[in-house]
Amino acid sequence: MKWKLVVPLVLLLTLSPTGAAFAHGARIEYTISMDVQIRATYDTGEPLAGGQVTVYAPDDLSTPWLTGVCDEEGRFTFTPDASRPGTWDVQVRQSGHGDIVHIPIGEDMAMTGGAGYTPLQIVLMGVCVVWGLVGSALFFWRGRG
Amino acid sequence: MHIPDGILPAAVCFGGYATTGAITWYSLRKINQKDDPREGIPKASLLTAAFFVASWIHIPIPPSSVHLVLNGLLGVVLGYYAFPAILIGLFFQAVMFQHGGLTTLGVNATMMGMPALLAYYLFRLRTVLGRKGNRLGDRKGRPYQALTGAFGFLAGAGGLGIAALIAVALLITTIPTYLDVEAERASIYALTLAHVPLMVIEGTFTALVVLFLQRVSPELLGD
Repeated sequence: MKWKLVVPLVLLLTLSPTGAAFAHGARIEYTISMDVQIRATYDTGEPLAGGQVTVYAPDDLSTPWLTGVCDEEGRFTFTPDASRPGTWDVQVRQSGHGDIVHIPIGEDMAMTGGAGYTPLQIVLMGVCVVWGLVGSALFFWRGRG
Repeated sequence: MHIPDGILPAAVCFGGYATTGAITWYSLRKINQKDDPREGIPKASLLTAAFFVASWIHIPIPPSSVHLVLNGLLGVVLGYYAFPAILIGLFFQAVMFQHGGLTTLGVNATMMGMPALLAYYLFRLRTVLGRKGNRLGDRKGRPYQALTGAFGFLAGAGGLGIAALIAVALLITTIPTYLDVEAERASIYALTLAHVPLMVIEGTFTALVVLFLQRVSPELLGD
């Protein structure tokens, strides 16, 4: 009579949540969480301190996935959801100024990136445009003479 | 001053393109009515270059810094050529420097170009006031230097001021609700206030340029 009661009790104990303590097998699961750090500055190099950050997940570009504020150095860090690979859009905005950066997460990941050109490229392009405009001015002047 | 992509709702961007299209059409029609529409092109071309480069000249006005716009000056010197000149300058700034953006090109062109035309009309009042017989002009019917300088200042400062007011109105009314609206509004007002000293700077600069032009080649001012 007594052992008939003991058997269900033992079964109940092994199946209960505390049962793991009695087991000898171990298992490790891992997930790599990846932080994305952005830094937002004006053209002058001055940080966008206090700029408002909006992060958009790749599959929903109309509703913000996360909002936040840049620190004094214009930095902001967030951890994108690894189960949603694709291009994450991060916008930083302050007093109507700002920029959007597109960050690929998943297969075509780049460890660093940014929006825009290098200063040398900018200077070169600027010189080309100015030369084009001065050239057109000279062309029409010559036509008049 | 240049509103970048992704800040304004699509409807506003479309509206900007519509007004820019209309003003461009009107300006080109007015240019075409001139005796020689080509005459103003060298002047317009050079000032487009100046406008294009001006946005790189930053003036630190705490807490932030602002850059030259020169839309009032373009309006005063170029007249109806000012709007196409500003449109072309803005296009290159958007494509190369990411100052502004292609979706907001229409909005930015209207925001800076329309006040340029208003500055032109304001500056033209000077010739009306300085006509022969009026006490504000000399014997040849040319306006006095002081009058030219004063209207140059008003036009240069006013052109920028109106553009700044349009920018504030657009930005304040379209702040997305998911942002911290109060903080964004406060920073917009702070940036707008920083444009008041810039108005004085651009007004003075415009006055100096028109005084110089009046002395050296008055025909450039349409006298």
